[in-house]
Amino acid sequence: MRNAEDGIRTPALPAKRTATAPVRTKPLIDPSTTPYKESPKGPVGRSEKRIDGTEKVLGTALYGADLFYNRADYFAQVVRSEKAHARIVKIDTADALRVPGVLAVYTAKDMPPGATNRQGLIHRDHPVLAEDKVLYRGDAVAIVVAQTERAVVRGRDAVRVEYEDLPVVADFDDALAEDAPKLHPDGNIMGGKRIRKGDADAALAESDVIVSETFVTQTVDHAFLDIEAGIGQWDGHLLTLHVSGQWAHEERRLTALALGLPMEAVRIITPATGGAFGGREDLSIQVYLGLVALKHPGKTIAMRYSREESMRARHKRHAMRIHYTVGAKKDGTLTAAKITVYSDEGAYASTGPAVLRKAASHSTGPLRVPNVYVDVYGVFTNNNPTGAMRGFGACQMAIAYCGMMDRLAERLGMDRVELWRKNLIRSGDEVTTGQRIPIATAIECMDAALKQFRSKKKDDRPLAPHEKRGWGMSVICFGLGYGDGFPDASRAIVKFNAAGRLEVYTGGVEYGQGLLNMAGQIAAEELGVPFSQVDVIWADTGRTLESGSSSATRQTYFTGNAVKIAASELREQVLDIAGKLLGVHPHELDLHDGKAVGRYNAKLVVPIDKLVEEGRRRKYSLEATGIFKPRTVCENYDTGQSPRSFITYLFASHIAQVVVDIETGEVRVERFIACHDVGKAINPQSVAGQMIGGATQGIGMALMEEVIMDDGVMRNPNFTDYILPTFRDVPTIETVIVENDDPGGPYGARGIGEPPLIAATPAVLSAIGNAIGVCPHTTPCNPQRVWELLHPEEAQVPYAARLSLAPGHAMMFK
Amino acid sequence: MFFQPRHVDEALEIRGRMGSDVTPLGGGTDIVVTINKTSMRPKHFLDLTHLPDYTHVVRDNGNWVLSAGATFSQLGKLPMKALAAAAMTVGGAAIRNTGTIAGNLGTASPAGDGCVALMAIDAEVELTHATRGRRTIPIHEYFTGFRRTALLADELITGVRLRTDWRTAWYKIGKRGSINISLVCAAFGMSPEGGVRMAYGCVAPIVMRTRLAEEIIEKDGLTDAAIEAAAQSVMKEVAPIDDHRASANYRRAMCGVLARRLLRELRIKNTG
Ligand SMILES: Cc1cc2nc3c(=O)[nH]c(=O)nc-3n(C[C@H](O)[C@H](O)[C@H](O)COP(=O)(O)OP(=O)(O)OC[C@H]3O[C@@H](n4cnc5c(N)ncnc54)[C@H](O)[C@@H]3O)c2cc1C
Repeated sequence: MRNAEDGIRTPALPAKRTATAPVRTKPLIDPSTTPYKESPKGPVGRSEKRIDGTEKVLGTALYGADLFYNRADYFAQVVRSEKAHARIVKIDTADALRVPGVLAVYTAKDMPPGATNRQGLIHRDHPVLAEDKVLYRGDAVAIVVAQTERAVVRGRDAVRVEYEDLPVVADFDDALAEDAPKLHPDGNIMGGKRIRKGDADAALAESDVIVSETFVTQTVDHAFLDIEAGIGQWDGHLLTLHVSGQWAHEERRLTALALGLPMEAVRIITPATGGAFGGREDLSIQVYLGLVALKHPGKTIAMRYSREESMRARHKRHAMRIHYTVGAKKDGTLTAAKITVYSDEGAYASTGPAVLRKAASHSTGPLRVPNVYVDVYGVFTNNNPTGAMRGFGACQMAIAYCGMMDRLAERLGMDRVELWRKNLIRSGDEVTTGQRIPIATAIECMDAALKQFRSKKKDDRPLAPHEKRGWGMSVICFGLGYGDGFPDASRAIVKFNAAGRLEVYTGGVEYGQGLLNMAGQIAAEELGVPFSQVDVIWADTGRTLESGSSSATRQTYFTGNAVKIAASELREQVLDIAGKLLGVHPHELDLHDGKAVGRYNAKLVVPIDKLVEEGRRRKYSLEATGIFKPRTVCENYDTGQSPRSFITYLFASHIAQVVVDIETGEVRVERFIACHDVGKAINPQSVAGQMIGGATQGIGMALMEEVIMDDGVMRNPNFTDYILPTFRDVPTIETVIVENDDPGGPYGARGIGEPPLIAATPAVLSAIGNAIGVCPHTTPCNPQRVWELLHPEEAQVPYAARLSLAPGHAMMFK
Repeated sequence: MFFQPRHVDEALEIRGRMGSDVTPLGGGTDIVVTINKTSMRPKHFLDLTHLPDYTHVVRDNGNWVLSAGATFSQLGKLPMKALAAAAMTVGGAAIRNTGTIAGNLGTASPAGDGCVALMAIDAEVELTHATRGRRTIPIHEYFTGFRRTALLADELITGVRLRTDWRTAWYKIGKRGSINISLVCAAFGMSPEGGVRMAYGCVAPIVMRTRLAEEIIEKDGLTDAAIEAAAQSVMKEVAPIDDHRASANYRRAMCGVLARRLLRELRIKNTG
């Protein structure tokens, strides 16, 4: 077993320079001299068929809802608050218990001894069942159990909850008002994050131009198709839950804590899962199922949400209000950025603190800004709790910094591309946190996207008089992994089983993104066996090791490395066996195409199956474990600076071309180019799939997706009014994969997950601005909002009024 | 009970006898959604989709005669711009293949795209009773209030008639390209005799016509000045609300935009 702690060596860097020193234009490291020039011989880099493809296409894969029909004894349903903010006076269960088939109704009082009754991924501040207050319309108040699904629904509707209304805190302004009711003991500011780098005020004062804007981003739902569903049972010793999630081991820990069980008494087995996007990082039905299972030993309990319950219960993407000021010299060189962000935490914090930190550390993206001043505040309201979602604070900030580049270019009368080119970081430059980026390929991505954009002959259709065409661009960077010193590790086991097949064990969750192929292809590559010989066993806390969450764009880098480390250990065993068998030093042998072959003597050949058999006879373990646990360094509390806040950075650039109907405000995306530097595409088709899906989601965020909250009431908890993009709204996404090997990634791979969404939204907004001559500041840019940009006097809620209370660049840190 | 008659007479008899206790069922694309979303549970269903010729669309003596069960996919092929274009903006392909014109009229939503299109061509709705027989009423008398119509509880919608020689135009504003609920939609029609119909959806509790604007055009023709005057009139005549889909201000302004756009289209193009 090899521990790869700090397995990555960051190249030696010159002494830290002061923030005002001239910016380097020559790369510190030439991106072309990278470690994996020799291409892999096996499946790495090939679009191997998906391991889970056939069963998903045939419909034989079992999702949470499939288990439900097959195996349930009892059914459970949650009684949810109809109030956004209220004290619970009384929960009357008498009527519910009279419904034939209803077995029991449980409230917070029924939690087992030792149970914390709390959930929340980072801050565990959310009661699983409300104790005395409800803080959003959707908070869980009680659980009903019945023998049939019909009875449980009737029972749920028969529970009477008496409330005493409390004033509803509907938005930032309500929350920050002086007489606002306190939603949590410490008040309505959940927390904050700041960055202090150089002297932003002084630099602004000396700037030739200053541009300010306030951006308002919306609340977004994950809208995965596979609605929360699953089963659980307690056999007296072990609570087994089959519930879709994104991080089986953390779900086990959180479920155990909430229910007061030892961690060993909970086993999470993740079924086939259809999408997550961060929406499964917080617990969903795990603790409810667990509680009911504990009360009914031996019985299989089933639960499933409707789409409406899924939307009303689940956390959302943080809506943000971003006050952004930049200063620049006449030639476009950025001098300073001053940024204040308010983030709607909703009722509970969950991952809020991490989202705030990510927003701060990504607040100037891939731009060279020597002086930066950032305050980010999380503000509690009576809206849905917020938490993880693809982009995680970074996507809102990308809307802002890309939007500022367009505004600055307009103010300076400069070409947008030239302005970007002047200010993008080069290899060896620092991002906002002061972390130096050894291989920065922002410009390379931008140029590749532009090349693709210009390469196609212009076959744009002629426009009607009320139509305007425009194009826009985004360039983003993204730190992968949890970063900021947060413990982050992946573990994997690779072994040959009794049948001679190669098995890979990972705790990571496959929810459609392609984790199984990534892990399988790397193991097969390392051991030289055909990909068809590999099985991947995943996300079962009883059989696999903790591999961290399938989120933060981290699994290819982290689990990919863990698998590679384990596989290379196992490879040494196999080579050792071969060496003994052939009488040569193992170094003289190589493994590929299912054989051990002599490097210098082609006549030396033994099939790997034979070596495995031989190894078993010779008592080799034929199994190895890999741990990948690189360290990051916490950002300094006062300055937000860290030499290594993230393990590595990803770069991307998107270009959108739109046609806007300037009379109706309708926007049509005509062309879309997504260019990403992924280090190395382990499976190019999966990578392109992530790019297309992410870009689609980003187009949705730019143009239509929005959870509409009205005084704590969700107006659109359904897909009739929560508008997701359809095929008609998304053109062919032209994908451009750039590969600059990452020195620490498996085969040079970095990752892909989140950046496609992050880069897409600002590209579309930029294109709209280019078409109509007014830069958007509020998302989504649905027809009405575009029309309001052109007719601000007609706006439903005037833009300025919406920004009335929350101070611009405030200082609220105590 | 789930009735599935094979003859029109049988269907009319069941409806005549059971009245509002039985719910006619076309494609089910409204009814099923209502059942899923609300506590509404029809006692009995009368499935009309197995009636002979229920989906027929024929040309008869200068008229298009649509059977009640004509689907949007079928209507999408008619050479009648407003109706065909409206039909092609309904739902996605699956909804267009199952949703029927009678269902659209039965639901009578102010956002009913089919209803708006029919309003612009002075269609006639055929309502039939088992013994009283058939009556034909002009479409503008069919809608009587918010989701209320002239259909009696013991009648069925059996068909829709419209003339083939009108020039029409259509536009729907929504938030996306497919499965797209109208924020505002408009259908305009002009008869060979010079009669003008300007119908709007989503701007009042019922599908409405802006009659003052129609009069302006009928009187002054499609001149720039008349078009502008009509657009101004439209914005006063409509009564949109603020809701989670769009603001009243936006909807009102869009009524003016669509008035200008569609009237100009009627002027330029010799549309079907
Ligand atoms: C995803 C989706 C998207 C949609 N998009 C649109 C859209 O873009 N535009 C739009 O206008 N609509 C839309 N709809 C609504 C619906 O598809 C239409 O209103 C359709 O015309 C309903 O027809 P149906 O045959 O399915 O009606 P059904 O659901 O079968 O019936 C609707 C009503 O009409 C009554 N009815 C049906 N036939 C008769 C009859 N012959 N005599 C008397 N009463 C009758 C029924 O009793 C019921 O009250 C959409 C629906 C869905 C689910």
